[in-house]
Amino acid sequence: MTSMVKQKMGLLALAVAMAAVAGCSGNSGNNAGNPAPASSPEASAPANTDAGGEAKEELKPVTFTYFNANSQVPNIDSNKTEIGKKLEEQTGVNFNLQYPVGDVNTKIGTMIASGNYPDVLAPDTAIDKVLDAKAFIPLNDLIEKFGPNIKRVYGPYYNLMKAEDGNIYFLPFSPVVGEYIPSPTIDQGAFFIQRRVLKEAGYPKIKTIDEYFDLIKKYNDAHKADKLTGFSSLIYDWRTMGIFNPPMHLAGYPNDGDVIVDMSSHDAKVYANSDYTKTWLKKLNEVNSEGLYDQASFVSNYDQYLAKISSGKVLGFFDYGWQANQALQNIKKTGNDDLDYMPLPIVFDNNTTDQYLDPPSFINNRGVGITTAAKDPERIIKFFDTMLKEENQVLIQWGIKGETYDVDDKGRFYRTPEQIEMLKDNAKQESIGFSYFNYSWPMYGQGSTLADGNSFNAGRQPEVAQASFTDGDKLILDKYGVKTFSELFAKPEDRPWYPAWSISLEQGSPAQIFTQKSKDVKLKYFSKLVLAKPDQFDGIWDQYLKDFNKLDVKAYEDTLTKEVAAKIAKTQGN
Amino acid sequence: MRDQTAVPAPRAAEPSALNRWFKTLLKQKTLIFMSVPFVIWIFIFKYVPLWGWLIAFQHYRPNLTMFQQEWVGLEQFRFLFSDDTFIRVLRNTLVQAVIKLVLGFVTAIVLAILLNEVRVAFFKRAVQTISYLPHFISWVVAANIISTALSIDEGGIVNEVLMWLHIIDQPIMWLGVGHYFWGILGTSEVWKDVGWNTIVYLAAMTMIDPSQYEAAEIDGASRFQRILHITLPGLKPVIVILLIMNLGSILETGFEPQYLMGNGMNADYSENLEIFVLKYGISMGNFSLATAAGIFKTVVSFILLFTANSMAKRFGEQRLF
Repeated sequence: MTSMVKQKMGLLALAVAMAAVAGCSGNSGNNAGNPAPASSPEASAPANTDAGGEAKEELKPVTFTYFNANSQVPNIDSNKTEIGKKLEEQTGVNFNLQYPVGDVNTKIGTMIASGNYPDVLAPDTAIDKVLDAKAFIPLNDLIEKFGPNIKRVYGPYYNLMKAEDGNIYFLPFSPVVGEYIPSPTIDQGAFFIQRRVLKEAGYPKIKTIDEYFDLIKKYNDAHKADKLTGFSSLIYDWRTMGIFNPPMHLAGYPNDGDVIVDMSSHDAKVYANSDYTKTWLKKLNEVNSEGLYDQASFVSNYDQYLAKISSGKVLGFFDYGWQANQALQNIKKTGNDDLDYMPLPIVFDNNTTDQYLDPPSFINNRGVGITTAAKDPERIIKFFDTMLKEENQVLIQWGIKGETYDVDDKGRFYRTPEQIEMLKDNAKQESIGFSYFNYSWPMYGQGSTLADGNSFNAGRQPEVAQASFTDGDKLILDKYGVKTFSELFAKPEDRPWYPAWSISLEQGSPAQIFTQKSKDVKLKYFSKLVLAKPDQFDGIWDQYLKDFNKLDVKAYEDTLTKEVAAKIAKTQGN
Repeated sequence: MRDQTAVPAPRAAEPSALNRWFKTLLKQKTLIFMSVPFVIWIFIFKYVPLWGWLIAFQHYRPNLTMFQQEWVGLEQFRFLFSDDTFIRVLRNTLVQAVIKLVLGFVTAIVLAILLNEVRVAFFKRAVQTISYLPHFISWVVAANIISTALSIDEGGIVNEVLMWLHIIDQPIMWLGVGHYFWGILGTSEVWKDVGWNTIVYLAAMTMIDPSQYEAAEIDGASRFQRILHITLPGLKPVIVILLIMNLGSILETGFEPQYLMGNGMNADYSENLEIFVLKYGISMGNFSLATAAGIFKTVVSFILLFTANSMAKRFGEQRLF
């Protein structure tokens, strides 16, 4: 008996010890994730740099922390990458780069609540909260004193960057410099369809949603044994655009978020309760009743979705290129062109002109700023300014001459097929530093042109675009009689307010609460509407409308209409 | 009530009572010293933060100090109680709590008794180890295991087994049907924690005097009768104390499983208070609302704890205070 007791005590002790170990490791993990204390001694070191004799002092090594909510890549010290090393040689500045795991809003929310900020912060969707908490310092004076290049690049956009108090708190990522070059591939929204479906049907030109699903149905019927999935959507966390946004695009509008903005009256209208959405969901309901819809869409997470698309068994899906890109690259890697996808500008009916492509726009609610916790904002702004030198903009997009790009005798930049192949590897992208530097820093906007006429984005340089198309790409482009994928899409009309999703809403305002509540209601009903028996659809739709219209739709529409007008005024008063 | 009458303090004897108090204090100084650090700990971590409750009555902005904030009275509470979502979330929290409490208690006690009756030491230890193991898996991993097992795609073992047994002929989207969620949650919690929860009961059983079992055996009590009349009554004090302690934290239904297994389709059943606080409080930067919900939770827990305790008192059982 006593030995039993001893054993049990031993077990208990063991359990307690394990719990304690788990607790401790949890704590140390937190500390590692908590940027401020780790960097403060280094960051404070060069504080004695006086503005005068700084030529040498300037290069004194210093490490800042940068929390970047825009991407999810492994944390790293920037000088461990080739690009970061080159920038450190010029400035002496190293960044401890940190990225979110899980929900960005929660992470930034706790950051604000604790007041523990990194030196530099790119809060992505949580930027309103950060501004509301006054966590960014105004940059006007710093730019005036130390930022000739910042002034050159951002100068034309000052009006749009200024907060209500006239200060600039962060630097957006989209100031187009020089002539605008559109992207040859589709990184925005599109209905994707697998190439084998088009191939078997003899590459028909399709335009409407009915034609799109007919093709998928025909292919699936002919290949029942393969157990294919007809159509899948991504609906997870904030990534709900896969089911929320198509009605707007199908009706011939670009991505303005939750609203459609009328071209003449500039009124912002919510479309989730409109006939557009009803038609879209009814179509999905019909597709589902034919057994073509991937019902697991409603319960899968982002990883499961990417895995499913990568498997090559999904015939079609709606998504944004940047969001599905990882899966698309995986398919490219298999080398099986039949499984690759073709992005198409699908609309409701033949009379609608598609507007999938982004109009040139300045997104003024995403950007990178310096926080109140930064010990030496001067060094950081100087680093930002150095980054914006043209040679460094080439460095962050094109990389290192002779290694990731070459220059021909006319001064045109190009990439050899080997270089293009090499850069398809994510690990390589990370070790060179493209994954860390080609976005989320003060930079030229996408589609900019360098002073020597080369494209700022390597991908938009015609030489590179042509060389990076696979044989399959070239074949299918040829079948459709175009040179690039974006040629199939209509030219974007001018929309000075675009994009309406970048309008910031005040914390706790009825409009902001509407965004959360309407999302909950939509998530709840959309799955029901799609999965219901077709004869029940109308009943559920009426129920949904009743619940949706209980929300403060008007407050949201009014706020957006007002802000759209304000943005138009700002752009024109430029 | 009895307590109050049990301490008659005649006014005339006051100085001597104080003296006695000091004498006792002096006698127990070692004990007092031992408890001081914990009292300080509790004070710092449980009482000092209470002043942050003020946030619930403000329109809190993190960049201002506490006294520069705008005071809004009970507005946050009004928002909470006028909101349909909150009522639904409250229902989910309570149901999930009851399921967790009842299932957790019953399964742990049953397993502990079964283990206690097992005579083959090897088998007993194997079962114990296996049933402890899931406790050490983090919810992130556990939720992925569960959602894969329940998936309608290939490899969803639950659907495949049920189809193979011809119990169903179409795979069921378990996590996509709202009212299955409570069951799935309860089962998952049991799977994860049943082994762990048995530990304290097994320890309590070793305290039962073996001679009672021997006497019962001589009197001809069957094994089942011995469990019913000796083991269970022996466990009663432990069960009651644990019940009271658990009632105090009944609204802490956990956050991870609901967050990780919840989705739009089962939100009506999966969202509990913690997720509500995360969505409408922290994610939206509305710290005041989050605090108000927290206060509400504490008040409910407080009432439950005192009710349970006074009931235990009435039934003459062991109690917390």
